[in-house]
Amino acid sequence: MTEIKKNRSASSSNNKIWWLTFGILCGGTLLTRFYKVLEPDHVCWDETHFGKMASWYINRTFFFDVHPPLGKMLIALSGKLTGYDGKFPFEKPGDKYDGARYEGMRIFCTTLGALIIPLTFLTMWEMTKSIDSTFIGTLLLLCDVGFLTLNRYILLDPILLFFMSCSIYGVFKVRSLTDSGLEPFSTRMLCWQLYLGASLACTMSVKFVGLFVVLFVGLRTIADLWNVLGDLSKPVSLTIKHLIGRSITLILWPIVLYVFFFWIHLTVLSKSGNGDGFYSSGFQARLEGNSLHNASAPRVLAYGAIITLKNHRTGGGYLHSHHHLYPAGVGARQQQITTYTHKDDNNRWQVRAWGGAAGAGGAGGAARVRSGDLLRLTHAASARNLHSHRERAPLSPKLLQVTGYGEDGVGDANDVWKVIISGGKDGDEIQTVRSKIMFVHYLQACALTTTGKQLPKWGFEQQEVACNPNLRDKNALWNVEDNIFDQLPKMSFEVYASGFLERLFESHAVMLQGNAGLKPKEGEVTSQPWQWPINYRGQFFSGSAHRIYLLGNPVVWWANLAFLVIFFIVFIYNSVREKRAKAFGKKIQETGDGDGDGDGSLLNAAGWSCAGWALHYVPFWAMGRVLYFHHYFPALVFSSMLTGILTVYLLRNLRRYLSQELGKTAYQCAMGLVISTAVYSFYLFSPLAYGMNGPLSNEPNSTMAGLKWLESWEF
Amino acid sequence: MVLKKSTENKSSKISNKVIALSEPEKGKCSLENASTTCKREVDDGAPAENENETMESMQPIDVGEIIKSVYLTVEIDVVFVGLLLMALCTRLYNLEEPKYIVFDELHYGRYVSLYAKGVFFFDAHPPLGKQMLYLAGQMAGYDGNFTFDRIGSPYTESVPVKALRIVPAICGSLLVPLSYQLMLEISTYQITAFLAAALVLFENCFLAQSRFMLLESIQILFSLFGILCVLKSTRKKNIASVIWLCFGALSLGCCFSIKYSGLYTYYLAIFLIGRQMWKRIDQTESTFKLCLSALWRFFILIFIPLLVYVGVFYAHLSMLPKAGPHDSVMTSAFQASLKGGLASITKGQPLHVSHGSQITLRHSHGRTCWLHSHAHVYPVRYSDARGSSHQQQVTCYSFKDVNNWWIVKRPDQLSLAVSNPPDAIRHGDVVQLLHGITSRALNSHDVAAPVSPQSQEVSCYIDYNVSMPAQNLWHVEIINRESEDSTWDSIRSMVRLIHVDSGSALRYSGRQLPSWGFHQHEVVADKVITHQDTIWNVEEHRYTKAEDRRERERELVSAEMIPTTVTQLSFWEKFLELQYKMISHSPDAPQGHMFASEPAEWPMLVRSIAYWLSPNSNAQVHLIGNLVTWYAGTISVLIFGALLAVYAIRQRRAYVDLPPYAAQKFYDAGCILFLGYWLHYLPYFFMDRTLFLHHYLPAYIFKILLLAYVIDHIFYILCISEKIKPFTHVFILCITIWMAYVIRTYKMFSVLSYGNMDLTEFDLLNLRWKDTWDFILHKKN
Repeated sequence: MTEIKKNRSASSSNNKIWWLTFGILCGGTLLTRFYKVLEPDHVCWDETHFGKMASWYINRTFFFDVHPPLGKMLIALSGKLTGYDGKFPFEKPGDKYDGARYEGMRIFCTTLGALIIPLTFLTMWEMTKSIDSTFIGTLLLLCDVGFLTLNRYILLDPILLFFMSCSIYGVFKVRSLTDSGLEPFSTRMLCWQLYLGASLACTMSVKFVGLFVVLFVGLRTIADLWNVLGDLSKPVSLTIKHLIGRSITLILWPIVLYVFFFWIHLTVLSKSGNGDGFYSSGFQARLEGNSLHNASAPRVLAYGAIITLKNHRTGGGYLHSHHHLYPAGVGARQQQITTYTHKDDNNRWQVRAWGGAAGAGGAGGAARVRSGDLLRLTHAASARNLHSHRERAPLSPKLLQVTGYGEDGVGDANDVWKVIISGGKDGDEIQTVRSKIMFVHYLQACALTTTGKQLPKWGFEQQEVACNPNLRDKNALWNVEDNIFDQLPKMSFEVYASGFLERLFESHAVMLQGNAGLKPKEGEVTSQPWQWPINYRGQFFSGSAHRIYLLGNPVVWWANLAFLVIFFIVFIYNSVREKRAKAFGKKIQETGDGDGDGDGSLLNAAGWSCAGWALHYVPFWAMGRVLYFHHYFPALVFSSMLTGILTVYLLRNLRRYLSQELGKTAYQCAMGLVISTAVYSFYLFSPLAYGMNGPLSNEPNSTMAGLKWLESWEF
Repeated sequence: MVLKKSTENKSSKISNKVIALSEPEKGKCSLENASTTCKREVDDGAPAENENETMESMQPIDVGEIIKSVYLTVEIDVVFVGLLLMALCTRLYNLEEPKYIVFDELHYGRYVSLYAKGVFFFDAHPPLGKQMLYLAGQMAGYDGNFTFDRIGSPYTESVPVKALRIVPAICGSLLVPLSYQLMLEISTYQITAFLAAALVLFENCFLAQSRFMLLESIQILFSLFGILCVLKSTRKKNIASVIWLCFGALSLGCCFSIKYSGLYTYYLAIFLIGRQMWKRIDQTESTFKLCLSALWRFFILIFIPLLVYVGVFYAHLSMLPKAGPHDSVMTSAFQASLKGGLASITKGQPLHVSHGSQITLRHSHGRTCWLHSHAHVYPVRYSDARGSSHQQQVTCYSFKDVNNWWIVKRPDQLSLAVSNPPDAIRHGDVVQLLHGITSRALNSHDVAAPVSPQSQEVSCYIDYNVSMPAQNLWHVEIINRESEDSTWDSIRSMVRLIHVDSGSALRYSGRQLPSWGFHQHEVVADKVITHQDTIWNVEEHRYTKAEDRRERERELVSAEMIPTTVTQLSFWEKFLELQYKMISHSPDAPQGHMFASEPAEWPMLVRSIAYWLSPNSNAQVHLIGNLVTWYAGTISVLIFGALLAVYAIRQRRAYVDLPPYAAQKFYDAGCILFLGYWLHYLPYFFMDRTLFLHHYLPAYIFKILLLAYVIDHIFYILCISEKIKPFTHVFILCITIWMAYVIRTYKMFSVLSYGNMDLTEFDLLNLRWKDTWDFILHKKN
C-alpha cells in the first residue's frame, strides 16, 4: 500500500502502479466474494422465488412475475449448464438443498457480483484519471459487507448491478472517446456505443429499476451532445451525426434487444403453468396443456349458445353461479353470482334473446348476437337468469346486487341486459375471445362488473360480482371464452391466439398491474427510503444456526452519507466562488497535478456520481409500492464513488495549506488511515455476510457483542 | 405611467385613462425616468431590476412610493377596475342559486357548522380556508344548526347561503384583475395582459369553482398574489423590495394554510428569490452586503409563512374547544384537553399507575382501540388447520366497554387494593395485567397468533394442566420518560409492554379476527419491538379499593368519576400532534369515484365533475373548462417548450435571436409561468389517491397566463423582424377570431356553471363535445 502512496502521482503513464492497484483490488474481490460461497447449503431469502422461477424455465412451464425475464433466464441457463434439473421445489427459505445442484447458479450470480468491483474501478478511472480516488472509491465498495452479502446468492440483484456497472462504464468510456474527438461513425466509437446500448437493454430486462440507469445514460448523452454542440470550431453536422449514431445505438438497438429477450421468454415458456390465470384467453390459447390450446369454437356468438364469460381484469375469473342463495341480510335472498378463477361447469351460461324463452329466430338456428342487442343470460346448470335490482351489493355498498333469478329461464324485466362491444359500433357481431364486451342492465343502466373483493365464507371465498352505475369501470369488460353451439362452423383457437406483439404488450400490462398491486397492507412493517442511507435496519437472509444478515458496513455507509452532505457544501461553495471571481475579474488557481485530474475534473466526476446517486434514490420516495432495503444498493455504488473522489479532493486541498514536505506526509498518513479503517471495519462486520452462529449480539457472550451500534439492528 | 406603455406600443387597442391625483412634478419625473430607461435598454440591455425600477405598479397605493416621497400617489387603472367589475358581475350573479348543497359544500359546510358550534374536528387539510368561510357565515349570523347530510339536499332559510359563498366568489373575481396585474409585469404589451385577464374571466372552470363554498379560488388568489409580490420584490431595491417580499411571504403563508398544494407555489417563490440572488452573485457588490441581503430575504421567506401557518392553527385550536365526533383520531391526552368527551371522564383520576390500578390501555397511534378480552377462547383449530392455545381471547376493541378494564399487579403481591401511599409502577418494572371482569392474566407464549402467524399469540391465561406454564410477566418500558425511574402516568406516558420470557412487545397487528373473534382487531406479541403499533397508553384510570372480587366487578361496572381538574396540554403539544396526525392520515376517499380522473387526462379535459343536479329539472352544475382556451393552453405549453429548446441550442452555437431585453422577459416568463405550471402539475402523478379535475386548477391558472405570454412573444417576434412583419395583421385577426370563439364557448357552457336553466336532452347532447363527458339526465316518467 505504501508503495502506491509514494507513487501518488496519478499520471496515466505510470502503468505499473495502475496494474498493481487493479491487481490488488481484483485479488481482494476474488478472496472476499468466493470465500464460503456455497454456505449455507439451504435456500436463503428470495432464492426461494428466483430458484423456483429458474426451475420453471428449465421445465418450460409458464408463470407470472413482476420483473422482466432476463435475470431469471440467465439464472436458469447457468443452472441448466451446470446440471441442475429443475426438480428442487424451493419451497421456503431454510430448506436444505440435499443434493440439488444449486452450486452453479450461486457461483454464476457471485461471479457477476464480483465483476462489479473491477468494473467500478475502470469506471472511476475513466471518470477521474486519478488512481488515488479510484482506489479509495473501489475499496469502499469492496469493503461493504452489505454489498458482499447481496451479491452472493441466487438473486436478481447481482445481475442487475453487474449490468448497471457495465452501463456506467460504457457511458464514461463513450464520454472520453467523444471528448477526444473521435469520429461519430468510427468503428471504435460504434463498438463502445453498441456495448453501452446492450448493457442498457440487459439492465432494463432484469428489473424495471434499470430505468434509472437509462435516465442517467440519457442525461450523460445529452451532456455529451451539448459539449459537442458548444464547440464552435466544429460544424453543426458533427452534432447531428453524433445524435444519429446515439439514437440508433442507444435507443433502437436496446429496444430490439429488449424485445428479443421477451421473445426468448415467451418461446421458452411454452407449457401451461400456474401463471395462466393472469392472462387473457387469447394468450392462454398459446400454452400447451391449457384447455384453450388446440380447442375450437364458433367464431361468432349466436343466440342459444352455451358460453363462459371471462372478466378482462388481470387475474379475473369466470362468471359463475351455484345452487346457494345470498344469506339473509345481504340483499335479496336469491341465488349467488360470483366470479370463479377455475374452470367449472357452473361457469356456463346460455345466451337467450330477451323476448322470451324461444328466442328470436329460433328456427333458422344461427341468429347472431350483435352489439346493442338486448338479451338474457341463463345459468346452464340452475336455469336461473342473470338478474340485478336496486339492492346493495354484498361488499360494495355503492353498487347493485347481481343475483340469479327466475325458474327455468322465466324471470322478469330485470333480467334484460344490453350487450355492447367496447370500442365497437352497434350491430357488430360478437366474436369469441376477441371482442371485449360489456353487459349493461337495461332498467338500472349499470354495468355487470366484478369488484375483485373476496366474498366471505358463505360465498366460498369467490369474488363479488355487482352492477356498477359507473359505466366506465375498467372491470366491466368481459370476453366469451368457450362457445358451444353446433349450428355454426367451428374454428380452431389458433386463430384467436395472440400474436407475439400482442403477448408482449399484454405481459407488460400485467406486470405493471402486478407492480402497482404490491401495496403495503395496514400494520405491515415496510422499509422506508429514509432508513436506507443511514443503514437503519437490515434484512435477514438466513436464520437458524447459520445466520446471515444483510446490513451495510456502517463505517462505509455513514462516511458515504457525510460525504454527500460535504459534496453539496463544496459544490455550492465552488460555484459561488467561481461566480464571484468572474464578477471581479480574478482567476482561480487550480490544484491540478498531472494532466486531466485537476480539481475541476474531480468535481465534475463527483457531480455525476451525485447525479447518479440521486437518480437511483430519490424516485423511491415517490413510490407507493412495497419497498425493500436492497433497493438502495444501486445508489450505493454511486455514493461510494462520490466518497472516493471527494476524499482525495479534500485531502489535496488541505495539503495546500501545509508546507511541501509536511503536506506530503500528512496526505499519505490520511490515505493510510482511510484505507486501514475501511479494511478493519470490513473485518469486524464480515461475520454478517459469512454467517454467524451462537447467541444474538445483544447478549454479552456473542461473537458480535459490542457491534450492535444501533438499537434497530437485529443480528 | 400607463401612458408610457400605450405610447410605446402603438398596437395597443385599449386606450387607458389614468386618473392620477399626483403632483405634476411627480408625473414629469416618472416620464423622465421612463425615457432614461428606454435609453438604457438600447445602450446595454440592463437587467430587469434596474429597468423595472420605474415601471408602474398599479396598486391603488404604492407602499414603496410613500416611503420614498412624501407625496401620496393614488392611481386608478381603468382596465383594472373594468376587469374587476366584469368579474364581480359574472361571479356574484345569482349567487344563492342553486339553493342546494353542491358537491364539496357538503364537507366545507359541515366544517363551518362545527366551527360555529366550537366542536373539534379533524381534517387532513389546514384550516384557513374553512375559517374564512366560517367568518363570512358568522357575520351573516349562521348558527351551525344545519345538517349537511348529502349532496343535493336543499338549504333551509337558516343558512345564509349567499354569505357562505361570497368569500370564494370575491376571491374568484379578484383573480381576474390580479392576472392582469401579474401579466403587466411579465409580458411586453399591455394588451396581452388584458388578454390574459379576459381568458381567466371567460374560463368556465374558474367561474364554477368560485361560485360555491370551495377553497380553490381562495388558494389560487393567494398563490398569484404571492408570486406577484415576490416578483415585484425581485425587481425593486432596498426597502421597497423588503415590503413587497413581506407581502408575498404573508400571502404564500395563507396559500398553504388553505391547502397543502399551496406549498408548490411557495417552492416557486423560493426558487425565484434564489434565482435573483444567484444573478447578483456575479455583480461587483461587496460580499458582506450580498450575504446580508440573501439572509434577510430567506429569513422573511421562511419565518413569515411559518408564523401565519402556526397562527392559523392557534386560531383553529382555540376556536374549537369542545369534544366532538372526530376525537378518536387523536391521542387520549389531546382528547382529554377538550371540553366534554373524554375530559369529563378522565378529570380527577389519579396520575400514577400503581399496583392495584384499574386501567384501560389504548393503542396510541393509528386506529383507536383499547386492549380488550372477553370470556371466549381461541378456537382449537383455525380454518388453515393451525392449532391455537385454546385460551381466552385478547383483542383490540374500538369501542368503550367494561371488558377493556385491566388491573395492574406486581407479581409478588397478592392483595389488589392500592396501598397508601400508592406503590407506583416505574420504568423497567415487571408487572402482570389482570383482566378486570375475568381476573385472568395477560399472557403470551410460543404459539402462532391467529391471523399473523409470524408473531406470538397473546391470551388471558387459563391453566389447562397441559405443561404450558403461564408466561404472564411484562416489562414496562416508558418511551417518553424523562428519567430512568420515571413513573407510569395515565394518559401522558407512552408505554411498551415487553413480554419477559420472549422479549416480544405487545402489539396491535392491524388485522381483523374472523367471526369467532367478533371481527375485533388482533393483538399479538411481536419480535420487532420498535414498531409504533407497539405503543400503548393508559386512558381511564382509578385505584382498586375493594379486596373482594365481586366488589371489584361491581366497582368496574358502576364506575363514575367525579371530575375536578382538566388535563392541560400546551398549544405546541397539540399543534405538533395535529401535524403528525395530518401527515400520517391516509384518506379513505372512495376509490373509483365516478367523476375521478387521472393527471394525464387533465390537459385534454377528458373528464368533468358533476357538482349538482336539480331535483326537479335538468338544470345542473358541472366543473368543466372552456375547451377552446384549454386546448390553446396545452398547445402553448408545447410551443413554449419548443421555443426554449430552440433558443438554447441556437445560443449554444452563438446565434443571438432576441435582444437582451426580450431574452430577459422570455426567461422570466419561463421561470414563473412555465416552471410554475409544471411545479403545480407534475407532483400529482406521484400521488396515490383519488384525484379530481379541480386539483389541476392551481396549475391551470399558470397555463392560461403562459398562453397569453406565448401570444405576446409571438407578436413581439412578428413586430421586430422586418421580413415577417406583414403577418402581424393576420396574427391579430386570428387571435381576435379565436377570442370570439372563446367567449362564445364560455356563454354556451355558462349554464353548467350557474345551473339556472332547465336543459333538454338536445341541449345536453349539444354541449357534450366529448364522448367522455358525462352529463346527467333525469329519467322521463
